[in-house]
Amino acid sequence: MVKKQVRRRKRRKSKQALIGYLFLSPVFLFYSIFLVFPIGFSLYLSFHRWNMLTPPLKARYMGMKHFTYLLIQDETFLIVLKNTLFYALGTVFIGMILALIVALAFSRTKYSSIWRFVYFAPVVTPPVAIGMIWGYLYRPTDGLINTVLRWFYLPGQQWLSSPAQALPSIMITGMWAGVGFTMLIFIAGLKGIPEMYYDAARIDGANFWQAFWHITLPLLKPTILFVLVTGMIGAWQVFDLVFMMSSGGIDTGVVPFESVGVVALHMYQTAFRYMRMGRASAMAFILFLVVLAFTLIELRVLRRGGVESY
Amino acid sequence: MNKKTKWSLIGALLFGLVFSGIAIAQTKLVFPVHWSDFNVDGMYDEEGNLIAKGLSQYVEEYMRLNPDIEIEIQSVSFENYLQKILVAHMSGMSPDIFQIYALWGVSLVDSGVLDVPPADVIRDVRANYTPSAVIGTTIDGQIWGFPTEVDNYCLVYNKELFGEAGFTEPPATWAELVEMAPKLTKYDAEGNITQYGFAFLSGWESAVVHPFLSLLWSNGGEFLSEDYKECLVNSEEGIGALEAELELFRKRGTDASGSVWEFPNGTVAMMIMAPWYESSLKVGLQEKYEDVVGVAPIPILKEKVNAQYTWFACVGSGSKHKEEAWDFLRWFCSDVQPATNTTRQGDLMAGNVGALPPRKIDMENQETLGDLYTQTFIEELEYARGEPNIFQGAEIKRILMNEIVKTWNAQKTAKQALDDAVKQINEILAEFY
Repeated sequence: MVKKQVRRRKRRKSKQALIGYLFLSPVFLFYSIFLVFPIGFSLYLSFHRWNMLTPPLKARYMGMKHFTYLLIQDETFLIVLKNTLFYALGTVFIGMILALIVALAFSRTKYSSIWRFVYFAPVVTPPVAIGMIWGYLYRPTDGLINTVLRWFYLPGQQWLSSPAQALPSIMITGMWAGVGFTMLIFIAGLKGIPEMYYDAARIDGANFWQAFWHITLPLLKPTILFVLVTGMIGAWQVFDLVFMMSSGGIDTGVVPFESVGVVALHMYQTAFRYMRMGRASAMAFILFLVVLAFTLIELRVLRRGGVESY
Repeated sequence: MNKKTKWSLIGALLFGLVFSGIAIAQTKLVFPVHWSDFNVDGMYDEEGNLIAKGLSQYVEEYMRLNPDIEIEIQSVSFENYLQKILVAHMSGMSPDIFQIYALWGVSLVDSGVLDVPPADVIRDVRANYTPSAVIGTTIDGQIWGFPTEVDNYCLVYNKELFGEAGFTEPPATWAELVEMAPKLTKYDAEGNITQYGFAFLSGWESAVVHPFLSLLWSNGGEFLSEDYKECLVNSEEGIGALEAELELFRKRGTDASGSVWEFPNGTVAMMIMAPWYESSLKVGLQEKYEDVVGVAPIPILKEKVNAQYTWFACVGSGSKHKEEAWDFLRWFCSDVQPATNTTRQGDLMAGNVGALPPRKIDMENQETLGDLYTQTFIEELEYARGEPNIFQGAEIKRILMNEIVKTWNAQKTAKQALDDAVKQINEILAEFY
């Protein structure tokens, strides 16, 4: 009797599990098609030579050749890795400081929701549109930025047409585009800090800076960690802005690829210009490992400072 | 209106709609191009009058003549053109008509992306195009389309700057050019060049490699072995050709920051350039154009030779309307217009794009080919030598460019750079040959 009940309960449970899996199956299917399969296929390609035009299963096996080529022989890959690191560190760290300043200002400003909307607007604007608009702003001859500089008798700059200024110019745009999102996260983090700490500090005679250094910043550490990790992951993969804003200079030879190229752009060119999908896939996996290593380092460093929740 | 009449009317209306739908059903051809807007839309003067037809005007003319055909022109940047072809082919949505840079042709042919032209097209190309263009369009012994554009290189110089420096003639030999360039160069107080005696262009493969190939061949060297198994640029002649370029840097007649795009600003005295730059020079120099621009053969090292490359129009193997696509190309590239004795493709190339149309009849009858800028390019075609159509051509050129630019920046000697280039290029060649 008991055995029968146990069996029935088991059957009911497995039936429930089956129904659960059935409900989940569209999601599994979606992820299998759009995530698992592409990752698996890229991994397969990274060990093969494939030009997109022949059946992939007939691709020639290359072993670790793509990886060794990229890490030892391909000077451009190492240069674009360096450029990407420069871009990621610059946009994330400077962008984070700017976003924190803005968040602090808005947490004490009237009508802050309007300002938040203004700062958040670039986040919902497509990067392609941002790239095009900033491309116009940066035009050396008739761009708005140089026009404003000239009003103040400052020399106009070459911006995207200068090998030295092109990447920093794109970084400025990247920061502008991302500051709104980071700001919102910081505002949420600031709201999570109990007001009583500040009250207590004020009673003890602490000024704004003391309260900031000893209360706000330490309690914002989980938020900073989140912003840093997600920001760096995004910045390592930057493509659209760089593609939109650098292609004019690269196409005409005005700006050498090496001075503005990032890993994703090099990957794109390797895949679609030189028809080396295998090497481009290997690049993607190296980038993945680099991002993973950086993320683990960031987590370890910040956890040492007392952040345990991530 | 009774019920019967009403239903009859509705029936007639539906029949009419279906019938008219059938009547206007069109065959749609997709034709991606990599040209500037004015090449597609036409060139207009300040009053808005059309002064040179663009591709769209010819396409509209064809569609008027063939109402059952619709041709959609898609503008794609040069950088993304090959990608567009590849991705579209892979996804089963291949465009119908392409303009192919011959250097891409080998991989595209090898992968079956291009349709084999009909026999009459092949006969037409063999009989009516300049030999170098036919060679450029031939891959594995097979002609793959109508040659649409050949581009070679000449020395373009600024006559005003020459006059200021006391020169009346362009240099005939590279040694003369190296002597003249520093005298045409100006420097600021810190020693930076403000006016270039000669300008190269780094960052763009063809702009670096084609002038180098011209010098290499002029010096009696070879780029690749005949079987394409080996790169030969690090030969004595190759090193000599690169040393000839470096001599300009050593004598301060140029530096690595120079740019041929500065020529219209009057800060470049000499450059090696292709014919398609004519339109930009005219736009940039306006009424000063004729006083400023001079064109001469590339100064020689040992032999008279200049590098040439080819573009050709072809049909995608994935096209669902190959026959209609070839019909359009026959009309556009091959049919001779009685009034001018030229082809439409030739008119577009010579009158708008500024490239050399390779059909013999266009070479003879296009008026603009005899102008100040283009005439020398036409004359120099006799000494033109096409770049080889090889697998991974773009990648190989990028490697060679990177190594050459390192010598310009004094990061490597000519021998070191060319040895390194050969090592990398041979690895690629070994993959395919």
